[in-house]
Amino acid sequence: MFIDFLIEQFNRHKDKDALVWNEQSCCYATLLIKINEWREFLSKKDLQPGTVVMIQADYSPNSVALLLALIEAKAIIVPLTESVVHKKSEFIEVSQTQVLIEIDGQDAVSYQVIADTADHEHIICLKQRQVPGLILFSSGSTGKSKAAIHDLKKLLEKFKLPRHAFRSIPFLLYDHIGGFNTLLYTLANAGCLVVVADRKPDTVLQAIEQHAVELLPTSPTFINLVLLSESYQKYDLSSLKTVTYGTEPMPESTLTRFHALFPQIKLLQTYGLSELGILRSKSESSTSLWMKVGGEGFQTRITDDNILQIKADSGMLGYLNAASPYTEDGWFHTGDLVEQKGDYIRVLGRQSEIINVGGLKVYPAEIESVLLQLNFVAEAEVYGEKNALIGQVVCARIRLNEQMAMEDKKAIKTKIKQHCKNALESYQIPAKIKFDEHSQFSARFKKQRTLSGGL
Amino acid sequence: MITEQQITDVIYSVIDQMNELRDQNLIDKGLQTPLIGQRSQLDSVDLVNLLLGVEEQLEDEFDISFVVANEKALSLKNSPFRTVKTLTDYLTDSINQ
Repeated sequence: MFIDFLIEQFNRHKDKDALVWNEQSCCYATLLIKINEWREFLSKKDLQPGTVVMIQADYSPNSVALLLALIEAKAIIVPLTESVVHKKSEFIEVSQTQVLIEIDGQDAVSYQVIADTADHEHIICLKQRQVPGLILFSSGSTGKSKAAIHDLKKLLEKFKLPRHAFRSIPFLLYDHIGGFNTLLYTLANAGCLVVVADRKPDTVLQAIEQHAVELLPTSPTFINLVLLSESYQKYDLSSLKTVTYGTEPMPESTLTRFHALFPQIKLLQTYGLSELGILRSKSESSTSLWMKVGGEGFQTRITDDNILQIKADSGMLGYLNAASPYTEDGWFHTGDLVEQKGDYIRVLGRQSEIINVGGLKVYPAEIESVLLQLNFVAEAEVYGEKNALIGQVVCARIRLNEQMAMEDKKAIKTKIKQHCKNALESYQIPAKIKFDEHSQFSARFKKQRTLSGGL
Repeated sequence: MITEQQITDVIYSVIDQMNELRDQNLIDKGLQTPLIGQRSQLDSVDLVNLLLGVEEQLEDEFDISFVVANEKALSLKNSPFRTVKTLTDYLTDSINQ
């Protein structure tokens, strides 16, 4: 009953491709068969409603069918991908996983019962509501991963409204709210998911050319990597209509460069959180970081200190391993500092990442954007370091382009500071610049942040 | 062991680098150049940059790791950051201790 709207849609589009996986197409008729096979399998295993089931998998016909069959079976689903496999035992413990289902790269399945009961109050609440659930872990780049638990019935509601069908690459991972959103959006509108083996620029761009992909939901970091690698010169990307970006602040310089290269591709910013789902958003234009966020089921407000708060009908019940983050009147404090212009907002950065230089605020994203304007800078991360004199100072960790790596560092620093001086106030210019040859992004193609020194 | 002259040279070299980025209000290179206070050409951000520059150069050239703007320096009755000379004296003493 929870996935009836999807099943109806699949039945109407039996011949259409639902997924392209391992270079093979899987049509909606096949997906329906697989869903039924999984439903039989789960009923043979006597899987009870409210059982916490971890799925360790990547996108594939089998993992998608299993996810839908588990929703129908009212399971509480914990998706897990290779990128966080080192945290698997922690995640099993926190989520109180009872059954572990693994689907490997060849689509082979293993099923393992690992615990009898799950008794967290939020899990019991979902059982009482007789609804399926979803547990998502935050990336936890700056601390422990928090487990957000959702009522899936509520989360599915917004996908019932028909929208445009796209051929889309599920770039964001299977265990990420953005990935879950791409998956459900695409299936609910009988679009097609083009699954990529990895997320290297060449692999992704080749898949766009080969399978006429129209929509790429991705991260600013990936867009920056595509620009750097210049791989886009090798492929025909004319099918690509829309690129959406979210998960972290977009450097304005990256946005401008991408748009100059691909003026026909619409660039849209998305806004979402593993705690609330993805909001509907509308960018002012392809080169603008201003956007409207909200849509049915979401209300927004901005606090006196400019932090975005959201009230969502589909918001999570709470965390399994942290106190409720909701305000007394039920709003979620995002921790994102925003600027407002009429109906539009612009995210300046995480409140916790803002650097305070003698009482003046510095937003890392703004400085990173200026650093990335230099063609010899491949990646830049800006962070604060404690300073006894003025609280914090601005520091930058920079990865240079390969051809610059051997140049005199002192001369490069002077060039960087000179460039910053023309674009920034003196307190915003990185006082310390370090060079590092390592890439700065995580398995989720999100910039990895150095812990701020704090005040 | 690092000499007073070596430390003064480090400070001057950092001042040179800072002046390269300044169009006006160039910082004088002299022992009596004030680093703080009304007569100083440096604002607080400049001072921090000067001290961080000195730290960096001490590390690069002499392999000396020393946080110049530390709590102790800030709590001294007579600030070591008054002039190039007082900063030199403070650093020479602290590092050679």
